[in-house]
Amino acid sequence: MTRTTSPIFGRLDWSVTPYTDLLRKVDSNSLVGAGAATVLVLGAIVTIALITWKKWWGPLFKDWLTSPDAKKIGIMYIVLGLVMMARGIAEGFVMRTHQTTALGTLAEPEKGLVAPEHFSQLFSTHGTIMIFFVAMPLLIGLINFVLPQQLGARDMAFPVLNQVSLGLTAAGAGLVMISLLIGKFGTGGWTMYPPYTGITYSPGEGVDYWVWAILISGLGSTLTGMNFAVTIFKNRAPGMEFMRMPLFCWTSLCVAIMLIYAMPALTVSSAMLALDRYAGFRFFANDGGGNMMNYANIFWMFGHPEVYILILPAFGVFSEISSTFSGKKLYGYTSLVIASMSIAVISFTVWLHHFFTMGQSAGVNIAFGIATMIIAIPTGVKIYDWMATMWRGRVRLTTPIVYLTGFFLLFVIGGLSGIILANPSIDYQVHNTTFLVAHFHNVIIPGTLFGMLAGIHYWYPKAFGYRLDETWGRRTALLFVAGFMLTFLPLYVLGLMGLPRRSPTFQNPAFMPWMIVAEVGACLMLAALASLFWTFRTSFKNRTKLAVPGGDPWNGATLEWSTPAPVPEWTFPCIPEVTARDDWGETKRAGDPWRAPDTYSDIEMPANTLHGLLIAAASFGLGFAMVWHIWWLAIVSFLAIPGIMAVRGMREIEPKIIPASQVREEDRKFRERVASLTPVTRADEASERNQGVPDLSEFAG
Amino acid sequence: MTKSNTDMLDPDDGASHELRNYAIGFGVSLLLTVGAFAALLSHLPTVWKVSAICIAALLQVMTHARNFLHLSLSGRQSREDLLLVMFSTILLAIMAGGTYFIMADLDGRMHDMRDTQDMEGMPAGG
Repeated sequence: MTRTTSPIFGRLDWSVTPYTDLLRKVDSNSLVGAGAATVLVLGAIVTIALITWKKWWGPLFKDWLTSPDAKKIGIMYIVLGLVMMARGIAEGFVMRTHQTTALGTLAEPEKGLVAPEHFSQLFSTHGTIMIFFVAMPLLIGLINFVLPQQLGARDMAFPVLNQVSLGLTAAGAGLVMISLLIGKFGTGGWTMYPPYTGITYSPGEGVDYWVWAILISGLGSTLTGMNFAVTIFKNRAPGMEFMRMPLFCWTSLCVAIMLIYAMPALTVSSAMLALDRYAGFRFFANDGGGNMMNYANIFWMFGHPEVYILILPAFGVFSEISSTFSGKKLYGYTSLVIASMSIAVISFTVWLHHFFTMGQSAGVNIAFGIATMIIAIPTGVKIYDWMATMWRGRVRLTTPIVYLTGFFLLFVIGGLSGIILANPSIDYQVHNTTFLVAHFHNVIIPGTLFGMLAGIHYWYPKAFGYRLDETWGRRTALLFVAGFMLTFLPLYVLGLMGLPRRSPTFQNPAFMPWMIVAEVGACLMLAALASLFWTFRTSFKNRTKLAVPGGDPWNGATLEWSTPAPVPEWTFPCIPEVTARDDWGETKRAGDPWRAPDTYSDIEMPANTLHGLLIAAASFGLGFAMVWHIWWLAIVSFLAIPGIMAVRGMREIEPKIIPASQVREEDRKFRERVASLTPVTRADEASERNQGVPDLSEFAG
Repeated sequence: MTKSNTDMLDPDDGASHELRNYAIGFGVSLLLTVGAFAALLSHLPTVWKVSAICIAALLQVMTHARNFLHLSLSGRQSREDLLLVMFSTILLAIMAGGTYFIMADLDGRMHDMRDTQDMEGMPAGG
């Protein structure tokens, strides 16, 4: 790390890549570092070459990157999340492999695949990526895709703002990605507590990468939250009263509220940390009148609502699929709505349980401990509601139901270990051990990850017009369930045996059997990841056999299943008039749901724009320049952002008009197609006979 | 789709009113910001300074909500607006009150910094 700052290149020079380390010393540590950088570079080269070879640049640019269509933005969010997830799971695998080889001896106390400093970078990037650049993009993407369709809206309330949010998230993800190749990432864990992450103890670029990735993507998430909230309040179809909204919309509303009120806390704590590091402030320095404990306080004021931001969309997905795949109405709709809203509010009152051991008195601890236990009640209500939904239904064991079953079994275990940890006196015993690591993976993986993957599987036909392969989907789900259990359940035991979290080494041979089991689990997780990508590939190859042009492959009850698959840009030929909860289901029960609307009119859609891309480029430039102290680039990028907005503000922007004749033509084709397809029974749902037109006589839900 | 989604802007008769609204909001915000700085630089006792800055901040929040965000307690949207304001107030009270609860308790349990620094050989910080 050089200390001089060049006026043009800042602190950048040729010594910052992991290849320099490799040239200096060849061992497993430098090989892993250089290998990861090489994968990044090769991945980028292969992607660019493939796009050029297939001549995809034009369509990519015209149909995707400049599109303000919420459905496409949602899909791009999900692609971003899946790409980042590949890195996150690979890092998890490297960490497990490191710990399996890290049994130290008296002669050689530090062993293992990678160096301790590298291990610290791994757990820091793993956490940051999995929370901010996997879980968040997956759930925001899914909400973007599903929410307007379920509400009967054509698009989000602010389509271009939506594009900007995606751009900001991608810029943050880009910063984390490029830290593999240029420089190092921070070593302070995903929470980056000062004083360790202050300028005294972490002088390099690492923490700055985290700070700027979080500031930029956090802003994007706040804007997304506002967009969701306004969409739900203002853009519902006529007749779509609040208590008629599908439950996924309700959980999206909770997520929106929590994003709006929680993300600013993260922005504040990271901005204060940035001021400490760049401008010599003393917010978190005890000897300068600041207080480092306030960082933990502000950070977790965001952090706790965040975990419910992660889980609530999954709860929404599970509400939809438990009802659809058991052919029954959702049990206890009102109680689910109340439970979701309670979780959203109570989640703001429990943040201290993340730092029970910081030194406050027992009275403070127990107040937050009790609040933490209370939040389990609405969650329990939900679990019972879903089980009651499936009770005596004709449950089809499709992939989403496999995920749901895994969720039922495992999430309850994870939730109960959370209740154990909510007791401050027990927390004192097991805090900072792998018991905690096991606990939060046990809620996030079976909760968020399973929920998002189930949701992707469920709505995939709506996005691309063909179903995902059921066999491979189920294999993926089972691999994830098995991989999760083998990887993380041993960590409970190891934590109780006393293994600290984030420990690069240990000296107790009794840990080894559990370590090896966890390593086997990590291999299964890698296999599950490969299987997930194979599911997409094999389904794409068989897309003609799996096609569901009828648009309703699962005999669903909510509005999004009334449109063709893939869903057209304008979603609905004319905005539906909603008369009941589960409106599409009611229409089916009344018979002849595919009746054409009487009149068609021109549809106004937001025109494509470069705005989001430009803002993303400028904010990425700003973040990168600030990390490397390239002041001129930072100033230029910083001024570019209001400049771009001003330019857009001064231009007259014409919406894109889709003429009524085109809408009528496409709609007529769709309705003729539906009439010509053979309806399929639920028993045949997974076979090739499923072309998206369900047997209406079977609709009971 | 063509109608404005703010329910407020009517280009024919609302524009000048709207502009004046923003201008008043901007002026008041500016005054309150300058006032806060003036309070800080003045020779008032600390308690007065802190209270003056807090009051200026609260007033500024209200100005923003009223003049820029168009929240109002009368009119078509008053019920929704009231709910929004109340919900925000509850959450902010939880966050600010909780922070005070936690940080004051921690502060009470810290070593007094001045004592610690006076003792030789003891590291600063608690």
